[in-house]
Amino acid sequence: MDKILRIDVGAEGGPKSKAVPIGDYAGLGGRAMTSSIVSKEVPPLCHALGAENKLVIAPGLLSGTAGAQSGRISVGGKSPLTGGIKEANSGGQASQVLAKLGYAAIVLEGKPASDDLYKIFINKDGVKITKDNSLKLLPNYDVVAKMKAEYGDAICCISIGPAGEMKMGAATVAFTDMEMRPTRHAGRGGLGAVMGSKNIKVIVLDSTGMPVRPPKDPAKFQDANKRFVDGLKKHPVTGQGLPAFGTNVLTNILNEVGGYPTYNFKQGRFDGAAKISGETLAETEKSRGANPTHGCHRGCVIQCSGTYNDKDGHYLTKQPEYETVWSHGGNCGISDMDKIAMMDFLDDNYGIDTIEMGATIAVAMEAGLAKFGDADAAINFIHEVGKGTHLGRILGNGAGMTGKAFGVERVPVVKNQAMPAYDPRAVQGIGVTYATSPMGADHTAGYAVTANVLKVGGDVNALKPEGQVELSRNLQIATAAIDSTGMCLFIAFAVLDQPETFQALLDMLSAFYGINMTGDGVTDLGKKVLKMERDFNTRAGFTPQHDRLPEYFKTEKFAPHNVTFAVKDEDLDKVFNW
Amino acid sequence: MNDKSPAENLSFAHFAIVVEERLIARFFLLLQQGVRIRRRVGCTVATFLQEELGAGPATIEKIQSIMLDGKPVDDLSSAMIHDGSVLALSAAMPGLVGATLRRGGAYSSLRSVISYHETGEACKPGEGWISIKLFNLMMAELGPGLLRQGVLVKSHDLADLLAERAEVFRQGCNVMLDNNPVDISVPESNAALAGKDQVFLTVAGSLVSA
Repeated sequence: MDKILRIDVGAEGGPKSKAVPIGDYAGLGGRAMTSSIVSKEVPPLCHALGAENKLVIAPGLLSGTAGAQSGRISVGGKSPLTGGIKEANSGGQASQVLAKLGYAAIVLEGKPASDDLYKIFINKDGVKITKDNSLKLLPNYDVVAKMKAEYGDAICCISIGPAGEMKMGAATVAFTDMEMRPTRHAGRGGLGAVMGSKNIKVIVLDSTGMPVRPPKDPAKFQDANKRFVDGLKKHPVTGQGLPAFGTNVLTNILNEVGGYPTYNFKQGRFDGAAKISGETLAETEKSRGANPTHGCHRGCVIQCSGTYNDKDGHYLTKQPEYETVWSHGGNCGISDMDKIAMMDFLDDNYGIDTIEMGATIAVAMEAGLAKFGDADAAINFIHEVGKGTHLGRILGNGAGMTGKAFGVERVPVVKNQAMPAYDPRAVQGIGVTYATSPMGADHTAGYAVTANVLKVGGDVNALKPEGQVELSRNLQIATAAIDSTGMCLFIAFAVLDQPETFQALLDMLSAFYGINMTGDGVTDLGKKVLKMERDFNTRAGFTPQHDRLPEYFKTEKFAPHNVTFAVKDEDLDKVFNW
Repeated sequence: MNDKSPAENLSFAHFAIVVEERLIARFFLLLQQGVRIRRRVGCTVATFLQEELGAGPATIEKIQSIMLDGKPVDDLSSAMIHDGSVLALSAAMPGLVGATLRRGGAYSSLRSVISYHETGEACKPGEGWISIKLFNLMMAELGPGLLRQGVLVKSHDLADLLAERAEVFRQGCNVMLDNNPVDISVPESNAALAGKDQVFLTVAGSLVSA
């Protein structure tokens, strides 16, 4: 990973690629890489779909190695949805393959000179860029099938669906999984639209003939990796809960505590929750011959994913994540798991963020375009997006756009990005992160390692009111660091509870690069990334007033606990004081 | 676990199911919706788990999130079980919010506005009805014992479960409704549950095909 592949899509005669030395970006991976390039090279006031914006795709620091859980890939750019800096990451095969090919990043830059659509093929022999207008407006599954027919079984794909080509604010960048299905997405913030604005439909990667990246100290790396894997396997979340039930295991517990946003964030409990819980989902999958325990990329030992079959036992989609089941399920008043799974497939196929889409449909239902609970209407809304009808263009640009178009006040967005599946009135600490993250409302922004392991910013007194702000700050710092390693964020659970597992992670990084990585080093990396991102947003015109939840969260009481969001604005403004 | 069958249970129709061991898990989904049991109340959550549910120290350690009346509990030795309490039990959950909901965890302050606090109201010792919800890993941990002892379930919840899994129960399942055999593998037979708001359900495993 000592080079960056830059592709000028506006070059004379069509896109041209050039591999350049990594230079000042050496030692960076994942989110640290994408945010560094965007922060340094993209003018913050540029149009997100214009020539000056760049799409950066970067594997993690340990991607392409034999290290477990190292296959996350980051996608960055200026977001068409939020107008700020964006990093969205994904599982799938691409991170491992891109890293083995030696690229620390792919950067798409410039503005196409024509409407022609291109595909990019990258293997050990180099890069080939080909015009292919037969791909126009093809959904992701069809694109991948064509690439497989053309390039064989050893590839993986990075693609956009019709939503990306139509430059919608909810468009994703899709990554193929181990079965070469486009089920993994860098979903948030509309980065698929940025790829669409560069007229690149698909990037095909083939690492055949390329070895696994060798560590500087193989023996130490192998030992640390073993301790890391052991830590993941012995922890009840990563070793038992997630493999058995997937991320949707959260539905029951969130519903029980009244923090499950239902009917467009009106109340915290959904009567149909048990019908769409992770427990029910896993049982349904098993009874239909599908698999509820499956990894999204090679090297995954947590195996939180799975496959979902229809009633006839045929593959329908991958196991829908908690956020997807919530957004299309409880938030829209829908408890039919087969319909929710169909929506998951359609989102993947058209290339739409499932969180944004579900939140948007709920806003549309609130506007009276359909009744809450009408699953067929919800499915039709997604088809409208895929077809690019006038209504679909509005819906495909997210909850904020839809709320404006139809005059809805209750629109759950921060920085125009829809909130995920946890109501910030019930779990106020996550509201602090929703409000202040440079990414907009994002459940993964403040996710990872605990203060009592990293001691980020010193010990936190959790009983003090300001503890929520301090914890949010520390979590955001730690998450930014983990995102930069390319490790699956779910490792955080084992690292949270088992200091020896965190140490194993540090030892893996140290042994691979021949450095001495410490907890302080991780903290500094996280702070550096957040500082860059905050600086970009400031230069893009963001002010403290953008670090707020919508007003109704402060005034509308949320049942069953009848609480409002009570963290003061002045406390929100302290989150990034360190 | 106390092996009780209080007289109050006798006022409900008794649905007694004997299934192959492998099929017991098929009934676990009832437990996530909530079932009612008659037990001693006026005790702490810790005592209730140990003495009324039969949870040993290892099991209690696995129960990382406990919700009493919809509120996360941090202190098991002060939160009290009342007649009519709703007690939900979960293993450790993923995500920041999963960590936030753990009892006494580093992030508990993030959900302080919904945390359970004992009001200090007098709690009369005696027997009462408790709603129990078991989630995720707790289903397999505590579910078989609860089902064997018997739980009060909503008839329509049971009817839905049996109807959706009629094919599964076509073999390996013996059912008695108030001592009369019922064939639950035929969806129409669920008419036996019609007109009943709740039934007392027991599910036991047999080592051989029933």
